[in-house]
Formats: sequence, structure tokens, C-alpha cells
Amino acid sequence: MIEARGVTKRFGSHAVLDGIDLQVKAGERVALLGLNGAGKTTLMRCLLGLIRYDGDLRIGERDVRAEPREARALLGYVPQRAPHFDGTLAEVVEFFGRLRGIERHVVLERLDSLGLSIAEHGSKTVATLSGGMLQKLLLALALGDDTPLLLLDEPTANLDPRARHEFLRALRRVDRRTTVLLASHRLADVQAVAERMLVLHHGGLVFDGTMHELWERVGATVTLWLRVPPNVRDEARDRLRTRYQLPSTAANGAAFGVCVVRGGGADVLVDLRKAGIPVEEFWTESPSLQDLLEGVLSPHGGVDAHS
Amino acid sequence: MPTPSQKLPRTVLFVQRELAASFRARWFLVYSIAFLVSGLLLAAFGAGDVAIHGYRGFARAFAGLVHLALLFVPLMALFPATAAIAEERESGALEYLLAQPITFGEAFVGKWGGVSVAVFLALTIGFGAAGTVAVMRGVPVALLVALYGFVVLLALAFVSVGLLISTLVTSRARATTLGVLTWLILVALGSLGILVAFVRWGISENLLVLWSFANPVEAFRLGIVGILDADLSLLGPVGAQVMDRFGPVGTPALAAVTLVVWIVVPGLLGWLRFRRPA
Repeated sequence: MIEARGVTKRFGSHAVLDGIDLQVKAGERVALLGLNGAGKTTLMRCLLGLIRYDGDLRIGERDVRAEPREARALLGYVPQRAPHFDGTLAEVVEFFGRLRGIERHVVLERLDSLGLSIAEHGSKTVATLSGGMLQKLLLALALGDDTPLLLLDEPTANLDPRARHEFLRALRRVDRRTTVLLASHRLADVQAVAERMLVLHHGGLVFDGTMHELWERVGATVTLWLRVPPNVRDEARDRLRTRYQLPSTAANGAAFGVCVVRGGGADVLVDLRKAGIPVEEFWTESPSLQDLLEGVLSPHGGVDAHS
Repeated sequence: MPTPSQKLPRTVLFVQRELAASFRARWFLVYSIAFLVSGLLLAAFGAGDVAIHGYRGFARAFAGLVHLALLFVPLMALFPATAAIAEERESGALEYLLAQPITFGEAFVGKWGGVSVAVFLALTIGFGAAGTVAVMRGVPVALLVALYGFVVLLALAFVSVGLLISTLVTSRARATTLGVLTWLILVALGSLGILVAFVRWGISENLLVLWSFANPVEAFRLGIVGILDADLSLLGPVGAQVMDRFGPVGTPALAAVTLVVWIVVPGLLGWLRFRRPA
């Protein structure tokens, strides 16, 4: 679906993208990750044909540089922030539906399935709609009539938790044949949508694999927080210290953290149970996506939830 | 939304969108109504007892319409045109629009067309009403038609200039400021500059004529002078020179060509700037 060969984009002498080679197959769900300035948005803009670049870039069978309109017809785009549009929701739907060549009923069905009814909201001016509603509108337009490729550039960055949850739920329901390329800074978004992770750094592709491989690559751990009765706290800590790292204690001293591999928290709980130490409460804390990325990018790797 | 067989060209969709945006804008309504009312007042009360080439009683009405057009038309065209691209670039809407299956050329031509049609309609309504009254007051229809033609050319020239400005800046405020500055230089200071250059520095007549035609507003004025065939109240400092050189046919023809150049060149420059990806 996407094929990039030697894609390079320079701003002056600075190469934001430096010879990117990449293939994304039809139906793949791919996350595009990287620290700020890594080139994620620049790669998106290259795919959209909005900026000049060196190298070859194809969407489907279309060369983005030679056939930008045809290439763009194969994709739907949801930007980080919904742009300001004049007019009512119905007018905006009408215009972009026509522009994208989507039948009216298709857009309306998409909007309904996303919980945005034209009957209810159609006469409202777009400026009065919430950020979540606008992102749903853009997603409905992007999905169109089974658009083959979705480009999502941090689509939940400006949404509140509820709107983000609804957006991700809608995204998970997207037809499996649709290829998705998602740029995001949120681990939850990436885990909800993508199976393949691409990490960009200094204009190059430094990681290409699954989330599991990403965790393994950086040796990331989850922190399991435990709260046990005060009279057995020292005993519990001493027992666990022989097998695990115990890097943290909560600010009030009531709980302490244990570093475990992903999915390894149950062993700790079983261990304490066998020792007759009751656990009053426990919860886990995953490293942030930023932590994982820094782990990938650091020369010696390694990251945990405290980094 | 259409069935596939009813699909409109994408450029036409942009024209419709710009048209709708213009009619929603308050400034557009204000200028259109002001133009309409001013035109009606000038046409109704501007008739005087001055004879030009056998026509009686219309000179002041006609001159009023000319000066109204000189003042209003560039502004009516510049405001929507300068906002057309800069405003959407500023809000992020432009990037989203260009991420759709259209070419940059279609988008630019659509915007140019949309703003042009909006301004054209506003002028036609205002000019049509004022012209009807003017005809009733004795202004010859042929003169009004010629004036209307020049007014449309002037408006389109400023649409192109406005869109060029809009492609050069990234915010609506800057675009509007540049638009007003352009209006000030070309409309308000154009004649004054010519006058100062002629009186104070004594520039050559050739340069004077060239300078006049280089300014679309002056070209418009000279075109009208040519049509009127030497109404001294409208000639201005350069009019006599131009009429001497190019005559009553050549002057309006040259003025029309100048305005067409002012439509095409800034339009092309704007398109070249717009199609150049960031």
C-alpha cells in the first residue's frame, strides 16, 4: 500500500527524512513513532504530496509526486487538530463528500456509526462542535467509501479522555482491509490500533517491529505497585528484593514498586501469597511511549516505568 | 451529495464554496450594500447640467459612479481575495483541503473563481441598480456598459493581486494589512504620486504615461477617459497626454489590455507560489 525508497526531505542543510526505505502492506496497522522532530509529520506530508521530497514514494500503484491527486484519492487523512471550517456540519459534509466523490448516504452512515447524527447536528455550525465530534467528522470523511489507506497524524492529541476513548473505539471498528498509518505520542492509542511499530529518529528508521519486540528491544519493565500491611512490609520487600528490582517507594511510604517484565506481575503476587503475606492493593504502571522510545534510541537501551 | 453521474468538477465545488464563504462574510455584505446605496445616491442626485459631446445632464452622475468604482471596487476585491488562502493556511484548513484528491491548480483556480464570482455578483447588483437609475437620469447605456466592463476588469485585477498577497503570507491579519497597503498605494497615493513626480521632479512624459498604465487604477481611469473622449473633470494630470498619444480608441484599448495583464500576471504568480509545496 505504501512504498518508500530513499525518501529524503531537507530543510536547508538539515535532513528531516534521510533516505527512508519502507513498505507497508495492504491491511497493516502501523504506528509511526518518534520523539518530537523525528520526521513523523514530515513523512505524512510527503505521503499527502504537500511537500517536495527526494526519492520515490508510492501509494498503491500511484506515484505521489507524479500523480498526487490520484494518490490522495486512495487515502483519508485525519490531522491532529480539526481545522476551522465555515458553515454548518451538513454543508461541510456536503462539500467534502463531493470533493472526495463519496455518496451522501455513505457519509451519513459513517457519521451515524460514529455517533454523530446529521439529523441532530447537521444544522449546527462547525465552530460550535466539540473537538471529539470534529475528529469523528474527519474520520467519517477519511473512511469515505472504504478508503484503502488512513493517515492519522496524532488524531487524539487534543481530545479529552472520553472523546479519545470513543475515537479509538471507532478506529478499532474500521474494516480490516483498510491500511492504517498512525502517528502518535500515546502508548494507549498505539496499542489500541497498531500491530507494527516504526520508530523514526534523526530522519532514519531505527526500529521496525511489533510492540512486543519493541519492549524486548529496550528491556522495558512494568512497575507493580504493592500495598501490604505495615507489619509485614519489610518482610515483603526483603523477600522480593532477592529476585526483583525494587526501585521505588510511594511518597507516603504505604506502597512500594517492583520491576517486573511485561505480564510478570502475577508471579510476584503468587510468591507473596505463598509466603503468607497479604496484599491489600496492587496496580501496575507501564512506561510511557516516550520512555520506550528513549530506550530504543539510547546507545545501551533499557528502560523501565521510572525512567 | 451527487450520484457519480452528477459529479461536478472539483474546481466548481471550490467556486461554490468560496462564493458561499463570501456571502457569509459580514464585510462583503457591508461593502456590497454600501456600494449599492452609494451608487444609487450618486446616480439619482449626481446629474448636473454639464454637456459632453452632446449628452446633457449626466456628467456628474457618471463621474460619481467612476469615482465610486475607483474607491470601492479594489477594496471589495482585495478583502476576500487576501483572506482566501492566508486565512485557511492560518487555521490549518488549507492543508486539510489540499490533502483531498484535488490538484493545487484546481484549488487555486477554484478560489480565484469563487472570489471573482462573488465580487462580480455584488458589483453587478450594485452597478445594475445604480446604472438603471443613471440611465433614467440621462446617462447613455453604452457608456454605462463600457464603464461596467472596466469595473469588472478592475475587480478581477484586484482579485488576482489579492490572491497573490494571500499566497505570500501565513496569516489573515498580515494579508489584510498588505491588502490595505496595496489599496492605499495604488488607489489613494497613485494619482498623488504621479502628480508629485511630474511637478516636483519633472519626470519625462514617456515615464509618466508608463507609470500611469503600470497602475491598474490609473489604467482604469484612463480607459474611462478614453470612452468619455476628454471629459476634463476626469482627465487628471496624465489624461491629456495619453489621449494625445493613443486617441479615443487606443486609450481604452490599452487600458483594457493593461487590466488584463494585471489579472493574468499576479494570478499566475500567485498560482506559481501556491503550487510550490511548502
